[in-house]
Amino acid sequence: MPAALRRYFALATKEVQQLRRNRVLLVQLMLPPTIVLIVFGYALNPKVRDLRLGVVDESLTAESREFIDSLTENVNFDVTHEYVRAQEAEDALNRLDLDVFIVIPNDFSRTLGRGQTAEVQVVTDAVDANTAQIAQGYLKMALEEYNTKSIGDPIPGYRFRSTVARSAHPASPPGAPQVQSAYLYNPGLVTSWHYVTGVMSIIMFINASLVASALAVKEKETGTIEQLLMTPAQTGEMLLAKTSPVFVIMMLVLLISLGVGMLVFDLPVRGELWLFVVAGAWAVLAGIGIGVMVATVSKSQQQAQLLTFFVNPPITLLSGSTSPIENMPIFFQKLSYLDPLRYLVTIVRGVTLKAAPWSALWPNLVALATFAVILFAISAWRFRKT
Amino acid sequence: MKKILAQAWKEFMLFRRDKLLILLAVLMPVVLMLLAGGTQSLRLRNVSLLVYDYDNTMLSRTYVETYGAALTFRIVPRKIDESPERALSSWRGRAALIIPPNFERDFRSGGEPVVQLMIDATDSNAATALGNYAQSLNTNFALKNGIIQIPAKAVRMQQRLWFNPGLSNRLYFGTGALGLMLIIFPALLAALTTAKEYEMGTIIQAYASSLTAVQWILGKALVYVLVGIVEFVICFAIGLIAFDYRLPTDPSVLLVATLLYLLAGVFFGMIMGNATRSQSAAIQGVQMGSFLLSLLLSGYLFAVHNIPPQIRWISDFLPATHYVQIVRNSILRNVGWETSLQPMVLLLILAVVFFGLNVVQTRKMQFKG
Repeated sequence: MPAALRRYFALATKEVQQLRRNRVLLVQLMLPPTIVLIVFGYALNPKVRDLRLGVVDESLTAESREFIDSLTENVNFDVTHEYVRAQEAEDALNRLDLDVFIVIPNDFSRTLGRGQTAEVQVVTDAVDANTAQIAQGYLKMALEEYNTKSIGDPIPGYRFRSTVARSAHPASPPGAPQVQSAYLYNPGLVTSWHYVTGVMSIIMFINASLVASALAVKEKETGTIEQLLMTPAQTGEMLLAKTSPVFVIMMLVLLISLGVGMLVFDLPVRGELWLFVVAGAWAVLAGIGIGVMVATVSKSQQQAQLLTFFVNPPITLLSGSTSPIENMPIFFQKLSYLDPLRYLVTIVRGVTLKAAPWSALWPNLVALATFAVILFAISAWRFRKT
Repeated sequence: MKKILAQAWKEFMLFRRDKLLILLAVLMPVVLMLLAGGTQSLRLRNVSLLVYDYDNTMLSRTYVETYGAALTFRIVPRKIDESPERALSSWRGRAALIIPPNFERDFRSGGEPVVQLMIDATDSNAATALGNYAQSLNTNFALKNGIIQIPAKAVRMQQRLWFNPGLSNRLYFGTGALGLMLIIFPALLAALTTAKEYEMGTIIQAYASSLTAVQWILGKALVYVLVGIVEFVICFAIGLIAFDYRLPTDPSVLLVATLLYLLAGVFFGMIMGNATRSQSAAIQGVQMGSFLLSLLLSGYLFAVHNIPPQIRWISDFLPATHYVQIVRNSILRNVGWETSLQPMVLLLILAVVFFGLNVVQTRKMQFKG
């Protein structure tokens, strides 16, 4: 056996033994892909449900009650309260007891009786812009339905069209073109798939960097790095020996999280699995590279951990794993090209959900590999200097 | 009291010596706040749309223009002979609009042509929203081109949007980001110094001194709460400039809540430090327990009542949930003590419980006599 290989194995054995003794670290490594992935897969859901609707019925007539019933019968609102005066509903909205309330004026049925258009007022707590918008959409849909039902058949040839219940589209008015929406890759519109693939990628990358930086800086802090530097091993060998056990564990974590995704969330794997593994490997390398780099810059574990914490949230936020990149301001969109995690997220989703063609995936893979090589090279170079 | 201050002073000297730490304490909230407030948005904009117009008549082009004019869609060029399925699977577009060859003729003969919209549904929520949006564009097109008349309406709705009339996402995420920032750094620092005492063995010195556990805990916490207050000032300034914060008429609610929140965060960090006794484990604990959970479950990203009930109870145990609520009450809704009382009490309870756990963890330190 060549001397270099022997030295590598000796050092790697030392690392493995140290890792084995470090129970806490092993728990840290195994917890995220299982429990965290499951919790977040279920929890992350931007769908709006159980909006609390208040009703101020100043009219108190049969027409107004019918109107309220038709608004609430097929939309997911909880009618929490009925109020007599608008002021009471306003107070309730201020106390956060309501999300939205609707005021029916006292001339409601008289106006309708004259054949004129009655106006109702809808007040929404719009602090959460997304929820407010969705609530508006629901109300509009319900109102349209009420209008068509109560007025009957204003336009010749009108027929009430039922739509696919699941997609909750409002029906096209008669005579207008029909839009037929086809939902590719996820026809059941399962929300968890998007987040599970995102969180999976985050875990891969962030955990690799956290653990690598912790291990690398520990030798420095306890002073054992001097002993390492006195051994005949080259810095490159040292770094390889130090990181390869972490690498192996992280690859296990990768497979576990994919397994959890498939078992718990029925995540499909439609593309090539080996691509997923290769991309994961490059991402772990890039993560380790960042971790070691941070470790070489810092003097103590405290500094190292804080630095990784400083580096990781931007990487997470810019990667498009939780919020689509197209929605970001242009500057942040450009910045996201510098985020290795972005490419991993793309490949993971491409392989699992989309079965994306090779021609679309390889640029991402190349970008990821480039980041990994550069980060690893810099960290090796910095490691030597210390 | 003197002993608490002495302990705090020692802690502060340790903190001051670390230049990198101070730099991070100032820089981190600035960068993160801008990122956390600026990048996250659930509103769709510039969704790339591929158009397959097989009719290519005046009417079909007008139809396509309806989509092009909307802010939500951005029409992107496509390769001539690429199928929409393949283009979508290669991320060349997020949706594909397919207009059949008989589009205009069908109209003339009084029929209703069917237009197909293929949507990449890997992000199912965005996909549903896109489908709904296309439907409303479709109706607009029909109205504008006189294909249908506006139907008579029995009831019209008058919309009023309170507290955020522009439906700005920046306001929502910008205020949530404040809560996120203040939980990260103070908690991390507290966790690290506590764990370090165990790692270095300097905790023995605290044991041997006449300090009681409570004094030791409070002394440590004091410094990091102060760091947190400095961060609060920085973050609030950023909020005023970049996220349209409004100054609340009764700032006392926000200030008291901030103090309680920082205490809860710092005590939580110290619990992690005491429990794990290792810096790298403590930081992971804080990352999981306070950063990730707060990021996802506190209402920063999604409203708390949208979280499924099996998991929603976790939110109640996160200080961030209550704090973010109070921040939005004060800055956006500008309501006072009455509305924020419940989250405030819960915040207080959490801070006290976390403090109590610390005392339990370090009770060994109490020597009698």
